[in-house]
Amino acid sequence: MLAEVGFIATFLAFGAALYAAVMAFYSVRQRDERRLLSARNAALATAPLMLVSLGALLSALLTEQYQIAYVWNVTDPNTPTFYRITALWGAQAGSLLFWSGLMSAFAFGAIALNWQAQRRLMPYVIAYTMLVLAAFLALSLFFENPFERYWIMPDDSVAKGVFALGGAVPPSAVRLAETANGLNPLLRHFGMIVHPPLLYMGFVGFIIPFAFAMAALASGDLSSNWIKATRRWTLLAWLSLSLGLVLGGRWAYDVLGWGGWWGWDPVENAAFLPWLLSTAFLHSVMIQEKRGMLKVWNMFLILGTFSAVIFGTFATRSGLVDSVHSFARSAIGFPLFFFWFAITAMSVGLLLWRWRRGELRDERRLHGWLSRETLFVLNNVIFVMLFIAIFWGSFGAPIFSELFMGTTITLGKDYFLQVTPPLFLALFILMGVAPLSAWGATTLLRLGKALIAPSLLAALVVLSLALLQPTEPLVLLIYGLIALSGTVALWETARGAAARHKRLGENWYTAFTALIARNRRRYGGYLIHLSIALLGIGALGSELYQQETQRTLAVGQSLELGGYVMRYDGFLGGQIAEDGRIMDIAQVTVLRDGREVARLRPRRDFYPNAEGMNTMTIPSAHSTLEGDFYVLLVDWEPISAQNATFKVFINPLINLIWWSSLLLILGTLIGMYPERRVALATATVEPSSQLAGAKA
Amino acid sequence: MTQLAWEKPENVPVEASPQGIQWKYVIGLIVLFVGIGYLILQGTASGARYFISVDELLKGDYIGKTVRISGAVIGESIRYDPQNLIIDFTIANIPSETNDLARTLHEAVRDPKATRLAVHVRDQVKPDLLQNEAQAILTGKLGEDGIFYATEVLLKCPSRYHEIAPNQSIADPSIGK
Repeated sequence: MLAEVGFIATFLAFGAALYAAVMAFYSVRQRDERRLLSARNAALATAPLMLVSLGALLSALLTEQYQIAYVWNVTDPNTPTFYRITALWGAQAGSLLFWSGLMSAFAFGAIALNWQAQRRLMPYVIAYTMLVLAAFLALSLFFENPFERYWIMPDDSVAKGVFALGGAVPPSAVRLAETANGLNPLLRHFGMIVHPPLLYMGFVGFIIPFAFAMAALASGDLSSNWIKATRRWTLLAWLSLSLGLVLGGRWAYDVLGWGGWWGWDPVENAAFLPWLLSTAFLHSVMIQEKRGMLKVWNMFLILGTFSAVIFGTFATRSGLVDSVHSFARSAIGFPLFFFWFAITAMSVGLLLWRWRRGELRDERRLHGWLSRETLFVLNNVIFVMLFIAIFWGSFGAPIFSELFMGTTITLGKDYFLQVTPPLFLALFILMGVAPLSAWGATTLLRLGKALIAPSLLAALVVLSLALLQPTEPLVLLIYGLIALSGTVALWETARGAAARHKRLGENWYTAFTALIARNRRRYGGYLIHLSIALLGIGALGSELYQQETQRTLAVGQSLELGGYVMRYDGFLGGQIAEDGRIMDIAQVTVLRDGREVARLRPRRDFYPNAEGMNTMTIPSAHSTLEGDFYVLLVDWEPISAQNATFKVFINPLINLIWWSSLLLILGTLIGMYPERRVALATATVEPSSQLAGAKA
Repeated sequence: MTQLAWEKPENVPVEASPQGIQWKYVIGLIVLFVGIGYLILQGTASGARYFISVDELLKGDYIGKTVRISGAVIGESIRYDPQNLIIDFTIANIPSETNDLARTLHEAVRDPKATRLAVHVRDQVKPDLLQNEAQAILTGKLGEDGIFYATEVLLKCPSRYHEIAPNQSIADPSIGK
């Protein structure tokens, strides 16, 4: 029953999306309000339909309907409820459906909230969102259907289909449950409940600014309207993608057991590429809003972001790249590639058409190298260069060499470690300098004066990092430049609050909150800069000063690393967890200066029922602001476990990476929070927003 | 009123757009692009790894060059010294990757005629995925002694990347799994 309900709801959502797309385009041609209303209603209907569809699949997972092939593949009777829920996105077919569900929810929100204010863009927004949704639903219906069931054919062979084929009978429920596959052990991590949904929200969320940009190009309303309407959607998508990336790193750190968190793996890079373009976009739209410049560039960035999202989806889900993160090689590769090509060609075509007609001309020119707009342009160029460098390293070089050289050339981690650091450093320097420059023009002297106090603060950060561990002068300089991007943000906020305190006599708390409330975008942005600076320091410290050792210890013996002593206390073998896995756990005590600081339990999990990969090495770590003491259980003597071998890492400053994401969330939420009504009222008198539709 | 929504707004200000190319910025951009382009080229030259099969590695002139190879892991050959973190195993040549990777790997391991290559890995914990019929993607150098010295090991376990279907046993409760 659940399979039928899910399949029919998905099919209806596909039909509604297709209908809405066609009808929306047609309504523009015919200038027919009734048809547009019909298109809108169909578009809005896709969200509840997808809710039913996802609800059916989730119910099937929770109620153990193993006749459904997807349920059989990702769960078994031992799977705890928690992982039954995460199994919804645990494999290709379910995660594709989940992706479409999120997309319909985003489309629902954007259409419902902007319907009145953006009437002129709406037909196209509906058309483009629904076109993309229909394409993804088609993949679910025709290539990766999560509602297919197993059937026993009259000749006793096993077949797959949503509905019973002629003479087919369902297999025995008991046998199905006995043979069910269970969730991939790699995905049994608490992070998997939030990492994929956040990453998908990030990917899918960019459909909204993409559709509005396409709508602006198609409708000819090339003012900043589309940017204003989508600013919060873009920030929401960007925040989700950022957190998805950080949590993905955390998952790798916790589960893959190699002591690192970012491996420059093609799939990680595929998710990072849209982040780079969208971050550039978030900066450059400010120039269009404030100075009427970079109109073509902004279009290019957001269309490029979405194109990168679809390309990344294709790369991850087609089996194109070899990676621990990728999905099964799948039949959706070619259709997804075709869709990516079509959507990219359509975007570029529309953009070129408007450009050639001269409708995207800038209203101002650049003035001086140090003006804020020039520095923003420079920041954008570097983001795009990073995009090119990482794309080339992950996909460009292998594809190019295969097409034109008859061999495959891949670029490893060393390529990325050689090419990207100077570009990242340039971005940090710009992050420090650009907020201090003024629109229009700034002199070097003024900029230099503004940099004095933040530089002193940055020097304090460098000093404390130098005291923490011996560091080379060049690295200290780089630490300083990264820190500067954060201290500028701190100093500027403090300066603003001090000015209010002095001028208006407000107490410090009021001065601070009122300052932020007056310009949430700016101070939210500063908080994000601060979080990225912390992340940068964490990434650099953990990459450059990681220490590692490995030793075999007898019970009672210790090893030393970086001022810590680790003692092997004992072993707990064959512990059975509630999901049926067998855990072999080493017990170790970590001491510093003779005092016990932590008791850790690195372990090896064995999944007796899992096909293929059935062991997982789970690290255990003692975390402080200073860094992690990270222990892997490598091996042990059978039965007695009198001796066990450990691999131990010290990852300095790594926790700054995870903790910085809290500031990132706070900063983005402040930036997204609606401005006060006064600000809104002034915004409406700006000529560019006086649209016929807005007034209607 | 609603009809107005279709019309192009008339009061959008179209400022006289500044004309002419701002050469100093264009030149600045070109310098930047050339610099970064050089960085990318240099990185490519030093980071490029030929991705080849075991057969190609042994037939070509690759001794001492860093390459990336792909092969099927022969389970019984895996030897692991956890005290010194040394892994030795043998891989078999994979003729050409097909859509059914699991079958290709299975056949490569069982084929006595398939070219085999001994692999030596130092200072690495044995990966959980290193097992019979996994696909190994190894970066390293072929030594004069005919052993491949790998520095980077990436493993793909076909069952993880391919959907498994239940076998005939689900049709008949009397047959074991």
